[in-house]
Amino acid sequence: MSSDSDSRRNTFEDVDWDEIDDTARPISHRALAIASAYAIFVGGVAYDVLLAPEGDTIASLGLSLQALDWLYILTLLTLVVFGLVPLSEHRRMTAHYWNQFKKNTAAVVSLGYLLVVFAIGSIGPRVLEKPRVDARNAYQPPVFTSVESWLPVDCVGPVVNDRCHGTWAHPLGTTHEGKDILVSVIYGMEVSMQVGLIAAFITVTIATVVGISAAYFGGWVDTVLMRYVDLQITFPTFFLYLVVVYLYGGSLFSMIVIFGLLGWGSIARIVRSEALQRREETYVLAAKNAGASSSWTIRRHLLPNVSNSVITAATLLIPSLILFEASLAFLGLGDPTVPSWGGLIASGRNDLQYAWWISTIPGVFLFGTILAFNFIGDALRDAFDPRSGGGTT
Amino acid sequence: MTQDDPLLTVENLHTSFHTDDGTVNAVDGVDFTVRRGETVCLVGESGSGKTVACESITQLFKRPPGEITAGSIVFDGIELTNCSERELTDIRGARISHVFQNPQNALNPVYTIGWQLLEAIELHQDVSRAAARAEAVELLDRVGISEASDRLEAYPHELSGGMKQRVMIAMALACQPDLLIADEPTTALDVTIQAQILRLLKDLQAEYGIGILFVTHDLGVVAEIADRVVVLYAGKVMERGTVYDVFETPCHPYTRALLDCLPGRGSLGGIPGSLPDPMAPPAGCRFHDRCPDAVPDCSTGDQPAFESVVGEDHEVSCLHYRTAAEPTVLESGVEPRRPSERTDGGDTHD
Amino acid sequence: MAVTHMTEPHTGDDEPLLSVRNLTKHYPITDGLLATDVGRVRAVDGIDLDVYPGETVGIVGESGCGKSTAARSLLRLEEPTAGTVVFDGEDITAFDTSALKRFRRRAQLLFQDSDSSFDPRMNVGDAIAEPLTVQGMRERTRRREIVTDLLDRVGLSAADADRYPHELSGGQQQRVALARALSVNPELLIADEPTAALDVSVQSEILALLDDLHATVGLSILLISHDLGVIRQLCDRVAVMYIGEIVERGSVEDVFTNPQHPYTRALVASIPTTDPRERGTAVELTGDVPSPSNPPSGCRFHTRCPELIQPDGYDFDQRTWRRIMDLRQHLADGTVDIETICHQSVMDHDDDTGPDQRSETEPTAKLREEFALPEQLEDARADSILESALDCLVAGDPGRAADLLATEFATPCEQHAPTLEATDAGQDASCLRHD
Repeated sequence: MSSDSDSRRNTFEDVDWDEIDDTARPISHRALAIASAYAIFVGGVAYDVLLAPEGDTIASLGLSLQALDWLYILTLLTLVVFGLVPLSEHRRMTAHYWNQFKKNTAAVVSLGYLLVVFAIGSIGPRVLEKPRVDARNAYQPPVFTSVESWLPVDCVGPVVNDRCHGTWAHPLGTTHEGKDILVSVIYGMEVSMQVGLIAAFITVTIATVVGISAAYFGGWVDTVLMRYVDLQITFPTFFLYLVVVYLYGGSLFSMIVIFGLLGWGSIARIVRSEALQRREETYVLAAKNAGASSSWTIRRHLLPNVSNSVITAATLLIPSLILFEASLAFLGLGDPTVPSWGGLIASGRNDLQYAWWISTIPGVFLFGTILAFNFIGDALRDAFDPRSGGGTT
Repeated sequence: MTQDDPLLTVENLHTSFHTDDGTVNAVDGVDFTVRRGETVCLVGESGSGKTVACESITQLFKRPPGEITAGSIVFDGIELTNCSERELTDIRGARISHVFQNPQNALNPVYTIGWQLLEAIELHQDVSRAAARAEAVELLDRVGISEASDRLEAYPHELSGGMKQRVMIAMALACQPDLLIADEPTTALDVTIQAQILRLLKDLQAEYGIGILFVTHDLGVVAEIADRVVVLYAGKVMERGTVYDVFETPCHPYTRALLDCLPGRGSLGGIPGSLPDPMAPPAGCRFHDRCPDAVPDCSTGDQPAFESVVGEDHEVSCLHYRTAAEPTVLESGVEPRRPSERTDGGDTHD
Repeated sequence: MAVTHMTEPHTGDDEPLLSVRNLTKHYPITDGLLATDVGRVRAVDGIDLDVYPGETVGIVGESGCGKSTAARSLLRLEEPTAGTVVFDGEDITAFDTSALKRFRRRAQLLFQDSDSSFDPRMNVGDAIAEPLTVQGMRERTRRREIVTDLLDRVGLSAADADRYPHELSGGQQQRVALARALSVNPELLIADEPTAALDVSVQSEILALLDDLHATVGLSILLISHDLGVIRQLCDRVAVMYIGEIVERGSVEDVFTNPQHPYTRALVASIPTTDPRERGTAVELTGDVPSPSNPPSGCRFHTRCPELIQPDGYDFDQRTWRRIMDLRQHLADGTVDIETICHQSVMDHDDDTGPDQRSETEPTAKLREEFALPEQLEDARADSILESALDCLVAGDPGRAADLLATEFATPCEQHAPTLEATDAGQDASCLRHD
């Protein structure tokens, strides 16, 4: 094969493969950026564990990061690296997905709602003080509503006709302890997002690794992994959590970790069956025909093509985790130090007769969030079908 | 049996599909007739509207998005476009049967072929189970499936592609239809099996005198089976006539281009360009922007009206077929033995 | 495109680029809890083939004959069970992973189903560049230039690089597939049914493109197709496959104008003519292709062959002879439904004359009718044996009937496997009539 390379543009005929074989392979900028992002993360964790004084991570900034916060950071970092970055790189595919997604109006509204909840939940707790117990402010009604004036110890708003009216000082009212419900709900947003995203991150990561390995390598790898999944699915995770609560007390961290580490079985099965189908596609053979290694095939073909079922499963898993956390908190099995929506609902359940707002308002947020995730899950499932709707112009 | 009375007359058929992006006029004014005992081939590339045209007859496509917007379909004196869904259901299968391209998908994998065959028989005939079974055996035997009574217990996956297509034909024949619509029935089959199926269809037609509307993109199959040919392009009829006239004196440049694409005939290279956008078909002749003989007139107005050419019912929708084609062939009426010997535009010889 | 390559067909003394010897691919059939081996699907059963530089060779055969498996095995996309594949002097069956990866630059496969051969989430540009990336070309700009050049050469535009496979038509997809296969500048392209899913006009375009590339880039092409027209148009030499074996091999001209194997003759004759006045001339093959998991003994085509060799001392009409053999085949398969046939015979009889006058020969006559055998064979001895076999069948002893027929009407075709040998006509054929 001749390779007289003059000034004309590169064609396939004048590639000197021996030269390419000999040149050292530089690491791409992208891989470098990802690696350094994770390196910084690992450095931070190491500093926190080994060097930082107890309970005080970065003293100069006044930041105190718990294990849960580190996990949350890792989750968000991964979401950016493996979610947002690829989406921004493949503009046309992203636009195609978006066009498909936006056909579902409910899902678009849901996405807006969740982005607002996420934003407020991320910023709110940084700028707002944690709601404090203040017995004198107890049972304040939300703005525009009123209760009989005997209920609040000390009505903050005007009292007209023996009825205490709500004020903008406490727009959503206060609890029986006098905690501001708006602030509590905002703190609850962060808790819900942490629960949903971290547990989903753990679950999806393990499920994808296990499912794809089982499908791609098959044989004994498949047998061992899937038999383990069978065992894990029959394992009574709830009772394990009860034991942990009994021994160490309720903690959001342990709850997320337990349900994340033991709840991936069914998604792993979905990933495996999806990957088994994809493995038989001609494009996998075409990659082999190009000389691709297993890792290339898995990264470039299997992973992107199982992602639709994974993402759909995850968006349907997140609301169930949030609901589960709320249920545990409602039953008093949650983390008492965490202002979660479930805890808030629980705190109002004895006063439903006269102070309806304490349970109802966080309940509405909980309901809305779960509904929103479900709508998005449905819309994503439709949008991710690569053959749907034809081309985008 | 009156040979000359058309069994099926389709006139000025328009079928549209309403999609998110706009309306596609898949069939845009198509006329053809099928007589008893005759095989008419609808020929065209994918996207020409040939499948939609034949699905329009008993309105098999999904409604919506599909809709017959204009035209008439008269089958044995019945105007099918005015029929209710119930009346159409009675006609489908009983008097007009379909055989589809892919026998794999047309048979339900969870039932035995006997079950499916009996269902087809019992749906339209009031017969006892035993009589239906006897008829099923008879039918399978008729379509060339040996040891028929054993095969009734077979599941579709246990049969080869050719066998499945035979079963599909048996099911289509179950109620002695007057018209058989075969949509690419041999495309998924090997040549040797294709030859068997084509022979079978011809034999069955001779025996029962049914009319066959045969849809295909393969001109080799057309040459093998057709009595008359209707050439479709982008929802319009370009040319129609007997198979001899169309193959030996093709008048429309599109027909000639299609014939030239046959391996071993004409030259390699296909037809330059691609099918027009079905949402916005070009003005004038639909084929003008790919036509080697196009002149400016071709791109204005509507699709040219049909002109009769020498030969029985041979019509062409082209303004300039006389100048584009070899005139001596047409005017002297001398038929060349093979169309590949004709000399046209001069660019097809290698 | 100024690069020059050898485009002349081989002259006979140069080395083949690809030399396949005794290539075999069997798939085990397993059964039961312990997955015990109960048989093998002989998808490819010992084929020999050479492709010389710059040459276009075709493999033709019906679906299930093993031609696609042969393509994949000889590229080691599936591991062959046995045999050697020598490419440019090196045996690729002995290659390790890295040698195999380098080999993939020199031999590429063009897939049949262009739609599913593309990852729906990878755009056209990335798909074409995938072989380059995988083979270690890191510079993005260089890859993009090569992709642009390739798109141009296969008749697409540079802007198509951003499109996704589902946005393309079948013909465009096949062009992209061709660009992908060419990207590493292979010396050998194996095209597996490249036009099977396409319309005739598009098929013609793709074939023209292949032909053009063959001429300008000097590719050697191994073209696999069920369509003899396609093979005839593009190939210099052709091999005809039937159930995992090559039955005829030679120049396209020889094989198609003067086929030496009965299967090739039937295949050539079943191409639909493009002349309506010549219709109905096809030699019709009866039955389906037998399963490669249990191929027929002797010559694998003997169960369908219209030119089966007759036993010594007989001179049947070839058609009758075929039907006797079909009856034997049905008996061997155990698929003769004697109950139904005799039952019908009794019923028919009831209608006409009543049961009393039924003669004893009635059921065997019915059987003859069922298997399209004449009422009386010309040869009296043969007829008496056939009659006694049919009697056994009616009496409910199909085994004995089969034995009777098998001993009398034995054909060498079922006993001896022919070898692929040169014939007088020039090409190689594997038929006992030439041995």
